[in-house]
Amino acid sequence: MNQFDLYGLRKHFQNQRILLCFNGPISRSLIEELGNALKKYMEAECLQADAITDVFGIYIEMTQNIRHYAARHDYGEHEAEATVVIGTDERGRYLVEAGNRVERADGERLLARVRDLAGMDAAELKAVYKQQLRAPRDEAGASGSGLGLIDMARRSSAPLEADLRDAGAGGTFFSLRAMV
Amino acid sequence: MNDLAVEKTQSTPAITADSASGLLKMEGDSYPENSFEFFGPVMEWVREQLSDKACPLHLELRLIYLNTSSVRAMLDIFDMLEAAHGRGVDVAVVWYYDARNQRVADLAEEFKEDCTFAFEITAEEPD
Repeated sequence: MNQFDLYGLRKHFQNQRILLCFNGPISRSLIEELGNALKKYMEAECLQADAITDVFGIYIEMTQNIRHYAARHDYGEHEAEATVVIGTDERGRYLVEAGNRVERADGERLLARVRDLAGMDAAELKAVYKQQLRAPRDEAGASGSGLGLIDMARRSSAPLEADLRDAGAGGTFFSLRAMV
Repeated sequence: MNDLAVEKTQSTPAITADSASGLLKMEGDSYPENSFEFFGPVMEWVREQLSDKACPLHLELRLIYLNTSSVRAMLDIFDMLEAAHGRGVDVAVVWYYDARNQRVADLAEEFKEDCTFAFEITAEEPD
């Protein structure tokens, strides 16, 4: 009965101030339902409308990026899995984190891109956003998630943070964090 | 010409289009995974409407959150309006937003920067 230590999991979630988490194959409807739950929760907490839009927007871009990445790489169900965690820090700021398996080269490229964006101020981010918006669609698709990353960086109140870990069997796990 | 009436869903806005009056309305959140598929019929309607110089096109928006692929689709629509405006077609946009959500005004403002036709951004007080 205690195989999953539910009480321990619950305590862990509470200690970490985790509001919502998910691990597994993520579908379009699941993204919508989790997003809806997240929005309802923030409304009940009387969070400002702009902040709700920002947290929700980051969550949507992160999860849709993961779905698009898996679709582009013809990943099977197992590799189309996502790990998503949304919680708050000790100052009540919202943290949105999501991760997925990626090809190492893609992961390295994403890390470099996140690092580039972290060095930009609001005006620079707006300029690259507008530039990417006007980029030919093929190019935007090939570079992958370009506009989404910039959008998240603009909504995040601290620079995006990214991490790449060895996931065994030659794979790597890419994770991304934003804060509102 | 066919008019449009698309019901709102959780991730897609309500859309109505009336070719006689030239009024196109979109209302709600927009974050479908495939925005080009979703906005395809709207783009087609806009293209048809603008192909005749005698037809006006007034766009009334109450869009709230747009994912980046919806932003791209809206940019295409605004580009079509801009080109038509250059040909002397009567085009105008009014984007209404909830006064409590400045993010929507910011988004509308960034679209407006690249447009030379009439583009109003109007705050509405919540009920």
